[in-house]
Amino acid sequence: MEKKIYILVVEDEPEVLDSIVRDITEFEALFPVEMADTAEEARELIRSIIDEGNEIGLILCDHVLPGDNGVELLVEMQNNEDTHHTRKVLITGQAGLQETVRAVNDADLKHYIAKPWEKKKLVSIVRELLTDYVLDFESQPLRYMQVLDGERIADHIRTSGKLTDS
Amino acid sequence: MKWTGLILGLIGFTLPLIITFPGLSLAGHFAMSIFLLAAVFWMFETVPIYSTSILVIFFQVILLSAEGFIDYSSIDYTPLPFTQFIATLADPIIILFLGGFVLADASVKYDFDKSMTRLLLRPFGSRPKFIILGLMLVTAVLSAFMSNTATTAMMITVILPIVARMEPGDPARVGIALSIPFAANIGGIATPIGTPPNAVVIAALNQQGVQVAFSSWMLYALPLAIVMLFIAWQVLLRLYPPAVENVTLDLSGKLKKSRNAIILYVTFGLTVLLWVTEGLHGIRSSIVALMPVAVLTLTSAFEKQDIRKLPWEVLWLIAGGIALGISMKETGLAEWMVGAISWDQFGYLMLLTVFGAVALIMSNFLSNTVTASLLIPLAISLVTSGLLEGVAGMLMLGLVIALGSSFAMVLPISTPPNAIAVSTGMVQTKDMISSGLIIGLIGLVLILVLSVVYWPFII
Repeated sequence: MEKKIYILVVEDEPEVLDSIVRDITEFEALFPVEMADTAEEARELIRSIIDEGNEIGLILCDHVLPGDNGVELLVEMQNNEDTHHTRKVLITGQAGLQETVRAVNDADLKHYIAKPWEKKKLVSIVRELLTDYVLDFESQPLRYMQVLDGERIADHIRTSGKLTDS
Repeated sequence: MKWTGLILGLIGFTLPLIITFPGLSLAGHFAMSIFLLAAVFWMFETVPIYSTSILVIFFQVILLSAEGFIDYSSIDYTPLPFTQFIATLADPIIILFLGGFVLADASVKYDFDKSMTRLLLRPFGSRPKFIILGLMLVTAVLSAFMSNTATTAMMITVILPIVARMEPGDPARVGIALSIPFAANIGGIATPIGTPPNAVVIAALNQQGVQVAFSSWMLYALPLAIVMLFIAWQVLLRLYPPAVENVTLDLSGKLKKSRNAIILYVTFGLTVLLWVTEGLHGIRSSIVALMPVAVLTLTSAFEKQDIRKLPWEVLWLIAGGIALGISMKETGLAEWMVGAISWDQFGYLMLLTVFGAVALIMSNFLSNTVTASLLIPLAISLVTSGLLEGVAGMLMLGLVIALGSSFAMVLPISTPPNAIAVSTGMVQTKDMISSGLIIGLIGLVLILVLSVVYWPFII
């Protein structure tokens, strides 16, 4: 079985969660999407994904959640070596400056998306971040070319020598 | 697949050790063990193809060399010194490829491949028909000197923005996406360093005392490459006629002008000039190949980390292919295998057809280099055993094998350029099969035509 790269979406409002997932369906064929509505549920999901030998390439996380908040979850993931490299994005309307700064400094936040978001913008952020992840950690980036940034993947093949004449 | 390959490979390896084949020497039996193991491992990709090549050389040293574990003193076989097998890694053709790799990687480092592409594409205007022709010509020219794979990857970065601006239903999208890998495969035949199968064939010919100059190879193969490019272009235009009249190409971008980049341009130009004029000055291409390696490292245009990044495994792959040929010939295995079929029933042209067709079919499923490595020892012994005539016969058979294996472009797995094109999602495998089949078959017919009306008169 080849390892799979997951996208994790954490959001407590069902309609918002649905609409995020709907916006990123084009990635689902290659990057299975998992959903959680609390940090606690997210932790369980993360554990089971990692235990099955898979990875989490990207997390889209709301900040205000029942129980532990989103930034806390992201910082925790950053400090865990299994999810250290996961690209982390906050998608929220209510994270204050202090918490956002913490996410940037302690969780290597890659992007802050303010609600309401534009679909086009969200898709392009997801595409770029997943492309970064695949180029950094995948030995066969070619299979993701179709849904990700094809130009960058092709250029990577040109310069990295991962694929050679045979 | 992996386990099947492993088990079959081990069976293949053991078979000649327990069965005695009449007419085959002891050394021949060992050579057959190695041959069967390599053939199965290469076909099933039990291990990466380059590591099978390394295994070939390792087994040859321990089983077939004078310094190995087998005592051949009491029988009628003089084992080669082990240095013969390991020297394949520094075979002149490997050095030629090394020079080519250094030039190619340095070009990528300084974006020379991209700048050349922009420059060369300018005259082709904005009509889709001619843009496709331009893309194909540029791809072919670059892939004649650089790796087909890297050229394809680079050209994909050029075509993606073009295709993105076209209507989703425009058939030309498929045509453009197919034009790149096809042109890269075809371009690879044009020069000795265009693609690894050429190297395996040239090295095998060298060992028979047949020197193939860089310029002579181009004389044999370049006309075919040009004709095939035009045919492939026409085939793609017919199958996938462009729906629009105009396509915009973004050719902006600047040529790098740093000191190192300029050193590269000059070295590149000079090396290629010396290669293609080998027939005039007689300096061997493998000797010329040392020049860019020396100049670019001396001037630090090519540094330590660049040297480490060279595709060394491709050189091992070629060396294994060359070594396999040596042991099959020296132990009499190749001759024995060839002797099992009564070839005199075949006409001369029939023989070329068989080898060309087998090469074409095999390399659609296997690596092109592997195909050439498996076929060339058999072809060579056909000639040395007197079934075919002399130098010209040997050379033509070699060309048929090298060119035949490069014309395999039916499936995504046929060549890495095909795999890249399909990965873009613009092409379905079925499109590749239909157009690839047409081009491959036309290619095979043209190879055979050349072997009747062209090569015999210039060799």
